[in-house]
Amino acid sequence: MSSLFGFLSLIFATGINFYLFFSRYILRFQSQRFNFFIRLSSLLTLLSFFSLMYAYIISDFSNYNVFQNSHSNKPLIYKISGTWGNHEGSMLLWLSTLSIFSFFFSFTKNIEDDFKKLTLIIQSFLHILFSLFIIFTSNPFLVNSILVNEGLGLNPILQDPGLAVHPPVLYAGYIGYSIVFSIAIAGLFQNKDDEWLYVAKKWSLISWTFLTGGIALGSYWAYYELGWGGWWFWDPVENISLMPWIAGLALVHSLMMVRGEQAIKKWIVFLSILCFSLSVFGTFLVRSGILTSVHSFAADASRGIFILLIFFIVTGFGFLVFLLKEPKKSNSLNLLFINKVSALVINNILMIIATLTILLGTIYPIIIEVLYNKRISVGGPYFNSTVIPIMIPGFLLMSIAPILSWQTNKIINSKKYALGFIILSILVLIQSFFLEFNTWGLVGLLLGFWIILASIIAICSSYKVKFTIKFFQIINPHIAHIGVGIAIIGITCSSIFQTELDFNLNEGDKFNVNGKMVLFEEIATTNQINFQSLRGKFLFDIEKDESRKIEAGKNYYPVSKMITSEAGILHQWNKDIYFILGDQKNNEWFVKVLINPFVSFIWLGVIIMMYSGLIAVTRR
Amino acid sequence: MKSSHFFRILHMTILSFMFVSFKIYALENTDERVKNLTLELRCMTCQNQSIYDSDAEFSNDIKKIVKQKLLEGKSERDIKIFLVDRYGEYILFRPLMNYNNIFLWSFPFILLIFGLFFVLIKIKTKKV
Repeated sequence: MSSLFGFLSLIFATGINFYLFFSRYILRFQSQRFNFFIRLSSLLTLLSFFSLMYAYIISDFSNYNVFQNSHSNKPLIYKISGTWGNHEGSMLLWLSTLSIFSFFFSFTKNIEDDFKKLTLIIQSFLHILFSLFIIFTSNPFLVNSILVNEGLGLNPILQDPGLAVHPPVLYAGYIGYSIVFSIAIAGLFQNKDDEWLYVAKKWSLISWTFLTGGIALGSYWAYYELGWGGWWFWDPVENISLMPWIAGLALVHSLMMVRGEQAIKKWIVFLSILCFSLSVFGTFLVRSGILTSVHSFAADASRGIFILLIFFIVTGFGFLVFLLKEPKKSNSLNLLFINKVSALVINNILMIIATLTILLGTIYPIIIEVLYNKRISVGGPYFNSTVIPIMIPGFLLMSIAPILSWQTNKIINSKKYALGFIILSILVLIQSFFLEFNTWGLVGLLLGFWIILASIIAICSSYKVKFTIKFFQIINPHIAHIGVGIAIIGITCSSIFQTELDFNLNEGDKFNVNGKMVLFEEIATTNQINFQSLRGKFLFDIEKDESRKIEAGKNYYPVSKMITSEAGILHQWNKDIYFILGDQKNNEWFVKVLINPFVSFIWLGVIIMMYSGLIAVTRR
Repeated sequence: MKSSHFFRILHMTILSFMFVSFKIYALENTDERVKNLTLELRCMTCQNQSIYDSDAEFSNDIKKIVKQKLLEGKSERDIKIFLVDRYGEYILFRPLMNYNNIFLWSFPFILLIFGLFFVLIKIKTKKV
């Protein structure tokens, strides 16, 4: 019943969008009436999404999608997240997110009515494309032809709180760029003033913040769930989310130039189209199955080709309008060596090179497989030795960029910075000689600390420190960069100075981790509602009274016959102690312990960046 | 000019850093070399996991082979060629620098050169 209801709402919403897009009278509508239609279609789309969710919650197995992807003994949260834990549902989530963005955009006040209408009509166009895709190739409301009273279950890997909320947040980021895309296109059509740049800036900041959160959630999930001890693997799926993120970062920084009255509109429009294109392209790569193998793509090509078509329509339409309605040539850039404008331009160039390199590395195996029918891998080492060196000059520039001047190439207080840099270099060098020396480690630490130090010098010497909202708005760019610095330190330490200890243990054994005694208490197996768990129980630091418990092990999910690993992590502010329980051999358990220094800094840095993103939204 | 002074100091520090770090880079033992090499190899039975990180049977076998060959005095290149003959190029996370992959490896640096060129042309050299 709910499925029928959901399907009908979806159809109605699509109908409204067809009407909005194709009716010739629509531009003559009063804006109130127009907004009413937009909001109605958004609500209908959401209704459709919630009726699918309802079907999941009540385990309505007469819905084929629920039958395929759910099971009645799952906990409620995974029934809910099961809604988007599959292809059809996630596409409906995609469409609903698009509607939500249109809905909120329809409330924007400070722009012209005609411009707003045009933007929303382009949103309608996108809505039509994706809803046709859902209706014809990925309908989540199909009726199950056989009568069953149990479902096939959700992929156990997805049964995790981190991964339950990861897709909606990530999608909010991806699809937020649809608004930026629509604004940019509308801006090209109605080339009146630069007001739209400010609106675009706000929405691109919102999307970027969501995207940051989504990526961070995904990598945090990979960190504790995959049990490999790392948090970024240059997996194609990760790369796909990183591309619009970097392009979006370039966009946000370009939009900063608007404030310096150096609008480079052409480039901004280009980036806006690029961001959304990359989002759609990412969806195509993930959803078509082409990443696992060209052959699995060919096996069921209808979906893949449909999304590819959407991608070409969106990108083609975007860039065509871009070429035909090219923005008027804005005043030439005031590029000096080195002022704020040239620093921003160089950073933009570097970011785009990084994005394109990631793009090439991600699709290169596909190209080679199609051309030579040979499989190759392009993995972490490739990206580490191309993308990271490309970004390093950008990071260096970033440390001083906020204090550069727009007009001249003078740096205020340059002596202070030089002095700070020299003292810092000596300190880092001494530290690395006494502890552990590693070239990349040295570079990373130096960069991270330098960015933080330079930002702090800049804040202290350029502004009066006050604790008002306005002050935090002004120093916001510095705060964002401090976040990046902290994240760089975390990334460097956790990836380069990671130590690994291997043990073969019996229950009751004591062993030494980083100078602390750890007791391997026992192996326990328990039956949970939807899985069986095997846990090695450890007591960390037994010589102290308040020793900490750590559990590491595996889960077995009988419904889908899968084993997942569950790492045991002891979080401390300066390091994570990461336990992995291996297999049993000759009555001994293999236990791997990783010491990851300063992992928490990565998440702290990300949180600071997101905070900054939000603060930047509030500032004009 | 104050700023040029600043950048000169910056360059000097970076250069001296690079010099010091290259001197120390040469020292590595066998385990370290096994780690560095297996980090760049794909575990064929896992999903996007390196042989070093994986505890699958396949990975443990390869780790043993790599260590043995390194002790025999084989170079890293020899070992890679041996593994590619056996399992195909798919095993290498770092693609070979061969004819097929010229584009892959040169692309970022071509872009970088273009970018640099663009900036150099556009930047005004005259002092303000």
